[in-house]
Amino acid sequence: MTDVAVGHNVHAEHAPAPPPTGLRRLLAPGWLRAIWMSALFFGIGAGITVLVRWLETWHPIWPGSVIVTVELAAVPFGFLAGIGGFDYWARYASGAPTLPEDHSGHGARSWKDYFRINTDHKVIGIQYLVTTIVFFVIAGLLAMFMRAELARPGMQFVDNQTFNGLFSVHAALMIFLFVIPAFAGIGNYVIPLMIGAPDMAFPRLNALSFWLLPIAGVMMVSSFLVPGGPFAAGWTNYTPLSVHQPLGNTFFSMAVQWAGASSIMTALNFLVTIITMRAPGMTFWRMPLLVWANFTTSLLVVIATPFIAGSQFFVMFDRVMHTHFFDFTAGGYPLGYQHIFWFYSHPAVYIMMLPGFGIASEVISVMARKPIFGYRLMALSLMAILVLGFSVWAHHMFVAGMAPWLRVPMMVTSMVIAVPTGIKVFSWLATLWEGRIHFHTPMLFALGFVSMFVIGGLSGIYLAAVPIDIATSDTYFVVAHIHYVLFGGSLFTIFAGIYFWFPKMTGRMYNERLGKLHFWLTFVGFNLTFFPMHWLGIQGMPRRVADYVPKFADLNLFISLASFGLGASTIVFLYNMVTSWRSGPLAPPNPWRSMTLEWQVSSPPPIFNFDEIPQVVGNPYEYGVPGARHGVFNGDRAPDFEEVPTR
Amino acid sequence: MLFGAGAAAVALLIPWLPDSASEQADRIDFVFWFVTAICIAIFALVAAVIVYSLLKFRARPDDDSDGPPVHGHTGLEIWWTAIPAALVTAISIVSAVVLSRNDHLPQASAASGQGDPLKPLVVDVTAQQFAWLFTYPGFDKVTSSTLRLPVDVPVQLRLRALDVIHSFWVPQFGQKQDAVPGMVTKLVITPKRLGTFPVICTELCGLGHALMRSESIVTSRDKFTSWAKGAGAGASATVSGKTVFMNNGCDGCHTFKPAGAHGAVGPDLDKLAELARRAGKPLDEFIRESIVKPDAYVERGYPKGVMPATFSTLPAAQLDALVKYLSGGSK
Repeated sequence: MTDVAVGHNVHAEHAPAPPPTGLRRLLAPGWLRAIWMSALFFGIGAGITVLVRWLETWHPIWPGSVIVTVELAAVPFGFLAGIGGFDYWARYASGAPTLPEDHSGHGARSWKDYFRINTDHKVIGIQYLVTTIVFFVIAGLLAMFMRAELARPGMQFVDNQTFNGLFSVHAALMIFLFVIPAFAGIGNYVIPLMIGAPDMAFPRLNALSFWLLPIAGVMMVSSFLVPGGPFAAGWTNYTPLSVHQPLGNTFFSMAVQWAGASSIMTALNFLVTIITMRAPGMTFWRMPLLVWANFTTSLLVVIATPFIAGSQFFVMFDRVMHTHFFDFTAGGYPLGYQHIFWFYSHPAVYIMMLPGFGIASEVISVMARKPIFGYRLMALSLMAILVLGFSVWAHHMFVAGMAPWLRVPMMVTSMVIAVPTGIKVFSWLATLWEGRIHFHTPMLFALGFVSMFVIGGLSGIYLAAVPIDIATSDTYFVVAHIHYVLFGGSLFTIFAGIYFWFPKMTGRMYNERLGKLHFWLTFVGFNLTFFPMHWLGIQGMPRRVADYVPKFADLNLFISLASFGLGASTIVFLYNMVTSWRSGPLAPPNPWRSMTLEWQVSSPPPIFNFDEIPQVVGNPYEYGVPGARHGVFNGDRAPDFEEVPTR
Repeated sequence: MLFGAGAAAVALLIPWLPDSASEQADRIDFVFWFVTAICIAIFALVAAVIVYSLLKFRARPDDDSDGPPVHGHTGLEIWWTAIPAALVTAISIVSAVVLSRNDHLPQASAASGQGDPLKPLVVDVTAQQFAWLFTYPGFDKVTSSTLRLPVDVPVQLRLRALDVIHSFWVPQFGQKQDAVPGMVTKLVITPKRLGTFPVICTELCGLGHALMRSESIVTSRDKFTSWAKGAGAGASATVSGKTVFMNNGCDGCHTFKPAGAHGAVGPDLDKLAELARRAGKPLDEFIRESIVKPDAYVERGYPKGVMPATFSTLPAAQLDALVKYLSGGSK
């Protein structure tokens, strides 16, 4: 992977300062300082807790669960301060002279730079993607354990609590540490390039928001190590169950805060970048649809994410501080939790889907060699989904015991959301029509996404219809549905995006043959795994169970075997990524003959993206229009003079 | 067309729905097929366009030409906004009508049947980790751990939860409802077919969630009435420890041979004497304490706070009977 840096256009003046020596190494931002500062903050957290309890004469003075809760907030701050996340602001706030920006935090010269605070959006994008893929693999392995247990009825490998932990951590990692941040990673890399900006609007904030992510992930995974096991109340963490859970549950509540803070900061950054840093001529109606998609997604994140943060704080307060937000014996309201939770978590489905819509639009238009069909309606339907997405949360609660009259209005809004979604699907199909379609791997994943997402969307219609939802809620039908949406939808588009921009990010081509093999293994394995789950659910298999009645044994065995195949297909992907990154053939600047700006610069792009700011003169998808241009560079204009080489 | 036929075959040839056993499930099935017909049409259209494009519009690798620069077609866009909107409106209307019918509970008319416990039959459902308990207020508060229902009689379930949220579901009845602590939620079922059907908890409720199953037995009206009256008479006489054990769902988590219980969530109650020795307490006292204050002593290897503390509210006679039953069994 050391080869990565080779393509970067490293200017001499951006060379890093010589590494500090001796004791100064302890004071310079980096892993050494992160270690001792984490320890220091651990001490501060524990010290304050014990001191307060001693002064108030609370017993025991050294309560394990309280200390752990405090440390889950304190230690990450120590880590972030140590790694250098706050350096600039700390200097500024304390009145010390801020360091002049020498851009040493830009670009990656060796693989080591990916393990440091780096303010380059391209480095951060890759940091995001690699980190999320690591957690994707971990969460996938948890799913494999689950399917192993479910292969036969009865209990074989794990006990009930561990099984509940497996699916809870699987879902939490996939949602908060894979799908949401993987899209943020792709967006981070691509958006500034697409809109002709040198970087994100707030590069330091960008770096900080990335480093919150591994904290959240490590926190979730490490809940396996605490007494009582990992959090096991589902990723939904419904009260009152979550309030009575062992210590591991606090790890979920806190990890969600860190992951949520990360995604809010990234979303703000996207919004400001998109609004203020577009190249001259890049009006809103000339933005590529991926930029539109991330714009709407960021609005969703900024508005909705505080709700899940609040809901998890309430749960944690109920657990640790003996408040009674959801404790019915003290006047609390258990359904209140669900309302707050789903007010985030339904929009979260669109947070996990809209960027995928954007990626699909880019890939399909470029690879069908046609303008995207109905560009304005595509953008407007994103906005429609954004607005409607906030009005449907209670369709997760049709059987929850909420006010009965709320069901029909929520059904109607949920149904209506199918209309803008349908517009997008039909527009993609119309884009394909009479195109010159090139079936490269990203296109296969994009078309796989359209077809699988249609199935997920249609089963969503079933679940939106209240009577059917009453019958199928909380069963494997729902498991099938969300996997068709989040696997067939989000994951397929993430793969499409990774393959599509792999040449741009690494400067090398991936192996097309392995890419296609990966697609077909994933596509077939995915359908064999998840389609039969519809039947299981309708027939009476509830979700989130470690054990089931013997009549479902054969089909579950089949599903488990298929899922192992699906898991194995990831090995092809990882192998392809690693080998191609190390030694794939060098990529040309624009292998897909795309019009958008990121392809008009070298692969990988120069350290500040554009050596000259492009001028946007047309729409981004004008394939087949003679003479059409999206962006022009100065160099493209007819030169006024002939440059005479002097020697 | 081909895809429509294929999808229709998948829809029709596989027995997707469980055999309906209630009037409500019949109506739900109708909505299901209504939605399925629409969805098959849409899926067939999408799949056909994708596959047709795949075959017809494939470009050769050396083909660098672009497609026709079509930017949109307002008419087409209006149609594919309007038609789906009309379809989902239709689905919404059908769903709303079925929902209101399924929620409707026929009341006894003033002239006849006032005071008849079968018009409608009311059942109080109590859910707790990890067992169901069914009480019949119209029949001297008879309790049972299986849900016995008469055929063709509208039933109103009033659900309560003692600890966490549970959810009541019988796949063949179609209907489902969460039981939420601190609330009473309601559900209407009109069984239309004799038989035994599974009762399943569908809301994750902790360790024993997967095992929180029971049965619903639908019998004729007469059989039901005689059972309800007979069971009521039996219950009021003497309290049997075994009845308490089963009615409170102890078998959901514990193994206890005399009761034929083989739960695997909590400690094996056949080894109670050994457990008491380890806790250093006399057997009877140990059993009583473990039921009433389960966290006072937790056997090694089992997590704290899993056994519900709600059994402390058992009536004294039932508690005595249970302790006696358990200690007798372990000798």
